[in-house]
Amino acid sequence: MEALLHETITSSSIILLAALGGLFTSLSGKINIGLEGLILMSAFLTPYFSQVFSSLFIGLCLSMGICTLLAAFMYFMHQKYKADIFVVGLAMNLLATGLTSFLSAVLMNTQGTATFVLKQSVEAIDLPFLSDLPVIGFFFRSQNIFDYIAIIAVICIFILIRKTWFGLHLQALGYNKRTAVSTGLKVAELGYVAYALSGLMCALSGAAMSLPLKSFVDGMSNGRGWIALVAVILGRNNPIGILLAALLLGFASTTANVLQINTQFPPKLLMTIPFLVTLIALVISSAKTKKTT
Amino acid sequence: MIVILIAFVTGFVIIFLTSTAPFESIKAFMSVPFSNTYFFGNLLATMVPLILTGLAASIAFKSNEFNLGIEGQFYWGALAGTAILLFMKESSPVLTVPVALVVSAAAGGMMASVSALLKSKWNVSELISSLLIGYSLIYITDFFLEGPMLDKNSGLISSQAIPQNFMFARILPPSNLSAGLFIALGLVLLLHLLLEKGTYGLKIAFYGENSRFAKYIGINGKHVVFVSMFLSGALAGVGGIVEILGTQGRMIRSFSAGYGWNGIAVALIARNHPLWVIPAAFLFAFLESAAFASSIFADITPEISKVIQAAVFFLVTASLWKNKRKKG
Repeated sequence: MEALLHETITSSSIILLAALGGLFTSLSGKINIGLEGLILMSAFLTPYFSQVFSSLFIGLCLSMGICTLLAAFMYFMHQKYKADIFVVGLAMNLLATGLTSFLSAVLMNTQGTATFVLKQSVEAIDLPFLSDLPVIGFFFRSQNIFDYIAIIAVICIFILIRKTWFGLHLQALGYNKRTAVSTGLKVAELGYVAYALSGLMCALSGAAMSLPLKSFVDGMSNGRGWIALVAVILGRNNPIGILLAALLLGFASTTANVLQINTQFPPKLLMTIPFLVTLIALVISSAKTKKTT
Repeated sequence: MIVILIAFVTGFVIIFLTSTAPFESIKAFMSVPFSNTYFFGNLLATMVPLILTGLAASIAFKSNEFNLGIEGQFYWGALAGTAILLFMKESSPVLTVPVALVVSAAAGGMMASVSALLKSKWNVSELISSLLIGYSLIYITDFFLEGPMLDKNSGLISSQAIPQNFMFARILPPSNLSAGLFIALGLVLLLHLLLEKGTYGLKIAFYGENSRFAKYIGINGKHVVFVSMFLSGALAGVGGIVEILGTQGRMIRSFSAGYGWNGIAVALIARNHPLWVIPAAFLFAFLESAAFASSIFADITPEISKVIQAAVFFLVTASLWKNKRKKG
């Protein structure tokens, strides 16, 4: 039971980190559908750079830098060259799939799965004091660093978008672009920042996926970026809502994994569970929204 | 033209960066696909599914819909068609093959139109729903190939082989090119007539450009969305079964190699115009087979084609496809 909960939290925080990145772009009114690709990039780059520089910290920073730049570049293509933002997102996903399997073949000399030699590893951490508390103490025991980062990010981002001028401007932009322009908001700048932040968060998400395994598998993001996108929609642009949505969707993937190990049920059919649960949640949420508007 | 230039420049840069003998590698990359009928025929054979998935993406884009489930619908069509072909093993190919084509089209089309229905009924984004359904379809297809339809004697994770007399006639042996090429070209022509010449094409185009205006002049938006998504899925499904009947001969797990995704890129390069899908598909097929063929003769990894294709896709978004969608 405890293991199930832990696994749920870990798979939720991967979705959560990416979804929080997607949140910024969703608020700005131009949702980033390239999350999937950005996660995949970081899932390869983080362990790769960590191995080359033999430091997880440097690896993560470099990967965050690259993903941030890539995401900003996506917005650049849209802003400067009038490319459709969704099409740029698709291009990003395709580029990441091709580039990571190419790099994995060239740099790591492998086919399909690359295993990295890392000096440090991502270990389970018990927070002092908090982990001794009854009931909620559980959530502060043996989670990995990314789980904690995800929770802290929820709080920071909640404050950022609700209490700062940046967040308010971003919301204003998403709400009505024309008004935002006429009141003198820097639309392009806000868009760049929103995209850059989505790249940053996806880098964390990708790192959270591949670092604990110390390996990269071609296409390992496997739809998580899309599931994260749905989490943004389900959470109605509210970080707390997104947290809950991510937990639900993370639970669905974990259940699929657990059933795969413990039952005779065909594994491939179980693997459709996260996607179908996500779809059903999306349908319910969209139907509700339609009714209220 | 710009696209082609971009493609080759990216290709050469990557070859320079990774190859120990870049000039020989480039020479192999450029010349091998045209060096004999085997390689050239295979290039054209790769083009066939790309034409069909390219058309599938075009018709969806034309009405301003995103069908991101093409990859899944491609598999699903192939699966349904293969099942029919194996089930009707004893019948005459004159009957079986057309039935299989229709079933594949219906199977792919139905899965895509689910997204259209969800959109018109509950306002669910077709972009995300088609993608989620597409992912699921691939897993469900894998389930059938690993379980109920597995041919245990083949040593592969695949269905049983399709009877030889069902297979499309090969043109240009020893290559894989088959009469499936004519089906693809025929559908290009059909779609061209539908989209560019007929009134229905006008309806779709009107709706795609400005859905509110289309409604004003009496076009049923839900109907347009449904039909174009259905046709999109149907083309993807036909693409799947044509690949089985033309090239593969049996349905092997993961045989698609991203035809669905590349179809989207092909449609964008072709600016959703059915006739331009042919050269766009040729370009992608060339990159694919050049990378594969030259990996035999020079030190290039075949993955290079994916990188070049993606780079082309990225740059094409800017240079060709102007933003028609009003907001994201």
